[in-house]
Amino acid sequence: MFPELNSILNSTPDSLKSSDFILVSDRQADASFLIHHYLSFYLRAGCKVCFLGLVQSFSHYSAVGQRLGVSLTQAREKGQLVFLEGLKDSIGALLQEESSQGTQPLSYLRSPAAGLKGLFRFVESSVRQNGGRDDGESWGPPVLLIDDLSVLLSLGVTVGAILDFTLYCQATVCSELQGNMVILVRCEEEDADDDEEGSNLLQRGLVHQCNLALHVEGLPTGYCRDIHGQMEVWWRQSGETMYNQRKIFHFKVYDKGASFFARGTSSAVL
Amino acid sequence: MLLDVLQAAEAGGFTLIQDTVKCSGRGILKCFINAALKRGEDVHVLGFEASETEVCAGLDNSCVQKLYFHKGFPDPLGWMCRSSFTVDQLTSQHITKLIKDAQHAKASVLVIDSLSFVLRHHDPVVICQRLQELRKGGDIKMIISLLHSDLHLQGVVGIVSHLASTVISVAPANYEHHTVAMTTRRTKSGKVMQEEEYFSVSEDATLSVQAKSRQSGHVQKEQDVAEADPTTNLTFNLRLSEEERKAKEKVALPFVFSQEKKSALLRPTPGSGRIVYEPDASDDFDEEDPDDDLDV
Repeated sequence: MFPELNSILNSTPDSLKSSDFILVSDRQADASFLIHHYLSFYLRAGCKVCFLGLVQSFSHYSAVGQRLGVSLTQAREKGQLVFLEGLKDSIGALLQEESSQGTQPLSYLRSPAAGLKGLFRFVESSVRQNGGRDDGESWGPPVLLIDDLSVLLSLGVTVGAILDFTLYCQATVCSELQGNMVILVRCEEEDADDDEEGSNLLQRGLVHQCNLALHVEGLPTGYCRDIHGQMEVWWRQSGETMYNQRKIFHFKVYDKGASFFARGTSSAVL
Repeated sequence: MLLDVLQAAEAGGFTLIQDTVKCSGRGILKCFINAALKRGEDVHVLGFEASETEVCAGLDNSCVQKLYFHKGFPDPLGWMCRSSFTVDQLTSQHITKLIKDAQHAKASVLVIDSLSFVLRHHDPVVICQRLQELRKGGDIKMIISLLHSDLHLQGVVGIVSHLASTVISVAPANYEHHTVAMTTRRTKSGKVMQEEEYFSVSEDATLSVQAKSRQSGHVQKEQDVAEADPTTNLTFNLRLSEEERKAKEKVALPFVFSQEKKSALLRPTPGSGRIVYEPDASDDFDEEDPDDDLDV
């Protein structure tokens, strides 16, 4: 959890905003540090977290989580964290003998054209589980974290199917259960024929649906040792007003956190 | 013109609101719904992308009974088997039946939120045919729909825009808190009118047009300072006198092929080199001049 990011986004584990759909995207940079931030943030806030880790193993997140002060193994044992380990389970999904129900979470690996209905069912069931804590209270509002969604494009799932999946997740997690959603999407370089199916189209479709978009890129002027990149925060109010607000911050990622500052105020400069 | 379109009551119209990620068109869509409700018309909303609470927030409470929200939103594809309206049911027979079921024989307005979702799941040509059937059907007075123009191929956006009698594109303006709408209206006689205006949407879904924008495409900040003449106050002279200007115009540019140069080149000069070429056996020597057809 990064305290400076909390103050920028105006939310703390004690005073969460609910029904938020947060989109984290990057272009030729690595925005996964934001996923680690949100994972530790929501675990600290006592929410029930459903994490679809499609690109890294559980031990990876667990190791980073320990540096940020949360224990993922404990959370999983207590039932606060439901973790879908995409890499480990994919072998099983591909080698399954019987063509079993298309409602398995990783059924898109065998038939990508069929869509992500199975994955959605997994998300829905884990988010609706009412398992309580040890002290009798129930967990806070559910949170869905996905890292990362653009890898499904390279597995043959269409952009339309992914957008349908996120629409359903938003309907269930954000609108119905008043929970939050954080999705990471990695974009490629802008091409001239940008209308084609690709990660840029997926990112635009998700920006239309989201409440808050965090976009991480390298500095436009090139590599810098003291500033690792820039992050654009785009507050999008859904529906009523069209007045969005966008701000750009610079950041530097450390071993145990990240610091964010306004442009031009890096400690190396001042 | 935007306010005229909002209040216009022409039958068989199809209004398309195009938006992008930079600026959402849902605010204007809500204004259209509100205006139709205030006119006493039945409004049928096919909601696929936003929930009923979101669409109905801010609408006039007294007229909300005339609003029929067909719940596509939580389950528009039927995955959870608890939707009242799926995207496959967007056919003219089904819609006409839905409208007749609402028991009011008066004019109905059909609102589709959003057409982008429908186009993702069905062929654009089929959707255009169905929309045209609905327009000519007589039960629906007007169709209004939202389209996210940056999520589709340009051709698809073009197809749907051609079908529409009015297209409103929203975009952010140069300075904050203002949005620009470019309205293109096609009348029955075939005349096309276009106008660009600044507008804003209030909390209770009323549209107010601020000012007409200047020439479309030129949204410049006002230049308070007149452009200074850069050739004044210099220690060297950058201006030309009359003779100098005439001499400059007389200069023959090096790569311009004017008449004098051509005749100079074509005139054979004495003592110039001649090229003697002896083709050997394997050479394919063509006597014709390959540049013969050039008109130089």
